[in-house]
Amino acid sequence: MPEAAPLWATVVLPVALAVAALVAAGFDAVLSGAAERGPAGSVRETGRRAAAPLREALRLLVQQPRRTTAADRLLGRLGVVLIPVAAVLAGAVLPWGFRAVSDPSVGIVWFNAMEALAWAAVWLAGWGPNSALSLIGGYRFLAQGLAYELPHMFALTTAALGAESLRVGDVVAAQDGVWFVVWMPVAFVVYLLSALAMAFWGPFAHPLARDAAGGAAVELAGVDRLVFLGGRWLLLVVTAGFSVPLFLGGGHGPLLPGWAWTVVKTAAVLMLLVAARRALPVVRMERYMETAWMVLVPLTLVQALVVAVVVLNR
Amino acid sequence: MDLRALLRRTAMNRPAVLALALPGATELRPAVEAELRRRQWPVVDAPAAADLLVVCGVPAAEGADWLDDIERSMPAPAVRVVVGVGEGEARQIALALDAARRELIERAVAPQPAEHAEHMEHMEHQEHVEPMEHVHHMDHQGHDHDSHMDHMDHGTHAMGDIAGLPMAERADDRDGLRLDRLHVPFGPGLSDWPAGLILRFALQGDVVQGVEVDHLPVPAVQRPPFWDEPWLRAAHGEEVTRGDAARRRCAAHLDSAGRLLAVAGWDDVAARCRRLRDELLAGATRTEVVGELRRTVRRVGRSRILRWSIAGLGRLPADRARAAGVTGPALAADGDAYDRLLMWLREIERGLEDLDDVRPLAPDDRSGPRGRLDGPRSPSQALLDVLPALLTGAEFAGARIIVASLDPDLDELALAPATGSAHA
Amino acid sequence: MAVLDDVIFWALALSAVAAGVMVFRFDSMARATYALLVSLLCVGGQVLLLGLDYLGVVIVLMMTIEMAVMAVFMVMYMMNPAGLLPMTMVHNKKGAAVICAAVFGVLAAGILLAPWPARRGRASDDPTMDLGMSLMGPQMLTMMTLGLTLFATIVVTVVLATRRGRYDRFGDDLSAHTADDPVRGGVGR
Repeated sequence: MPEAAPLWATVVLPVALAVAALVAAGFDAVLSGAAERGPAGSVRETGRRAAAPLREALRLLVQQPRRTTAADRLLGRLGVVLIPVAAVLAGAVLPWGFRAVSDPSVGIVWFNAMEALAWAAVWLAGWGPNSALSLIGGYRFLAQGLAYELPHMFALTTAALGAESLRVGDVVAAQDGVWFVVWMPVAFVVYLLSALAMAFWGPFAHPLARDAAGGAAVELAGVDRLVFLGGRWLLLVVTAGFSVPLFLGGGHGPLLPGWAWTVVKTAAVLMLLVAARRALPVVRMERYMETAWMVLVPLTLVQALVVAVVVLNR
Repeated sequence: MDLRALLRRTAMNRPAVLALALPGATELRPAVEAELRRRQWPVVDAPAAADLLVVCGVPAAEGADWLDDIERSMPAPAVRVVVGVGEGEARQIALALDAARRELIERAVAPQPAEHAEHMEHMEHQEHVEPMEHVHHMDHQGHDHDSHMDHMDHGTHAMGDIAGLPMAERADDRDGLRLDRLHVPFGPGLSDWPAGLILRFALQGDVVQGVEVDHLPVPAVQRPPFWDEPWLRAAHGEEVTRGDAARRRCAAHLDSAGRLLAVAGWDDVAARCRRLRDELLAGATRTEVVGELRRTVRRVGRSRILRWSIAGLGRLPADRARAAGVTGPALAADGDAYDRLLMWLREIERGLEDLDDVRPLAPDDRSGPRGRLDGPRSPSQALLDVLPALLTGAEFAGARIIVASLDPDLDELALAPATGSAHA
Repeated sequence: MAVLDDVIFWALALSAVAAGVMVFRFDSMARATYALLVSLLCVGGQVLLLGLDYLGVVIVLMMTIEMAVMAVFMVMYMMNPAGLLPMTMVHNKKGAAVICAAVFGVLAAGILLAPWPARRGRASDDPTMDLGMSLMGPQMLTMMTLGLTLFATIVVTVVLATRRGRYDRFGDDLSAHTADDPVRGGVGR
């Protein structure tokens, strides 16, 4: 059964998430290095490529911040800062093995609420600088977010339904035997899709896409940019990590301790998502939106119905 | 050396670069991109993200305010370097980049308060006076979200200007509502964008309601446009092999495909296209590139998501294309942005077979990468002419994909002096 | 703990009221919207403080989404970003102020003057469940029917309000293979 984590976990959580984000970004940099410059060849070169995110962070720290004409700096800053904050707050209900920093009775709803906060924050960041392209980027995410959020909610609900509880610990405990991914495959796939989408990353990076010269992030420089883009990586790590307790059995597994299984499974999901980014172009909003409403919502509803019938009959 | 200076030095050791090309300096862009890739300097697409602005081509003395504005909207320490066309380009580029990095590190390690103050002053200056001053102030996605062309219209507008920026005015929209219409100039300071092209969009929400095509002056240089060089030289009676022409065509199409894929958000394949382009331009033989090239082409052709994502954008049937004077792959594709991409890929594969062909190019062969070079209009002029019809009514998110799928080369406008000279 | 609860209660209460006032003081639609969001998030916090976890978190979730959507609808018809044009958030300023103050006064007086019963027994383990049961336990079927009806009403209203119907999309005899839409969706209808 889940137990409360010690107090120091509260301090360790953001650091651990940041380290995970750096490792994931490093892996991504190695893959994009291979695309840009060919295979690395040596371990040394691979290491140099993997360190690119660190160098990038340092570079952004040295850059001076800048401001734009007639900007709404209060809201813009708020949007930038809210993204990592929301990611860490969402991470608070993420169980490490069987312990989370906090395991409230409505952990799943809390997680979703924090994602929604990050969603609203992207609009703020796009609005703040008073620039047409960043505003377009911010709006894109709001409009798309509605299409993402509904299938996402149904996927979350399905897992909660299977465990008959909104407590993340209970969801993990309910997967002692069979992982939820086995009998909720549709919900799992939709969850992974919307995890990428809620982190507006990879195939769902449309709000920050190149066709708008960087979208919501177009006017961000220096620390602002670092916090915003770093926050996005945190969000990706947290949403990817949350699929482990929801569908992949959390800390359950043979031989290794619970926390190790969590780390292994989270790393596997992250690797899958980062690799998927290589194989896919950015999915354009109008195409995905119709698919989300016409295909994904009915699919997740049917999945939830199946799970509900199973639960009622056991 | 104290720690802070060391950190600053390390940070600026690989500055982020925004590379912009001017018309007439097309061959510099691949060269600069290749050099940046060799140095592993990150390439960014917005001034706000860049430390170093690399301008390919020497800007004209007048009408280059937009470059100043881009430099101003870069965060300190910001440095601009200009690389000109000429002998020993590769060396020149390397020297310029080295000098720029030295200056960047210098500024980063010892930020001069005076300079910083000046920077801020620039900002102030911009806030108050700028819109009236720079009629030629192209958008670099910056502070100037409104076209200043329409400045006069706002005299009658009750709202007037705010912070020196004109407000949007209202007009009927696609669905019969009356909504604000914003004028957003696009280019020339964009990456993955035809060098020198300026599109003045009238946007209502995300919908392009109208567009005006404009461009920077194209210098009337003696040299033929880079991508059309082999065919034009052959026409002048010079000895050009078929292999050279095929190589140039492949490189041109790889460049275009790389841009389109980058705008469509598939960085991985776009980067591969660019690397292959540079290997071809550097003289790689067929056996060196054929494997990876085939793999890349197949990967793009097989991607259903890409097809699902961009098919249906910028539909240009053959009869309309022919009526507009379009020739080359855009005519042969007879379809949308996706078909044009496939046509490029097909021509690349076909060109691969001829890479090592040493037979001379027929002097009457004038079929350049973008179309026939002996028509009444240059191929790119025809592509520019069809742009407004394709863009009007499109969503903003599709507009750049449509432009990239045609990829007009403004250097070609200097080919036929009768056309495109209105702005030159 | 009681002291801490009091501190949190007052901090949230004062922030909620202050942010609520700022909704009317800000001259930018975006700021007003997000000030309202802050106020509602504080209310969500108060509900959490009452031990109604589910309701509290749902308030946070729903209000965030709703305010973001409201920001879109408020600003979407005006492309000028960053609230360049200062605009007042209230019409009929005096009347609005009087009505607001009066309503606030009546509600506050109601809270203070009502004879609240003293607690009998102890709080249940799942107050959310109890609240739901006492609100609509016996009427669950009614509520579900009501929900469906409301949703159907929303859909029907939108359908009636759209200018373009299926005849515009698929032709007069509905024989067109693909719909004639300004923007093509992803399912290929």
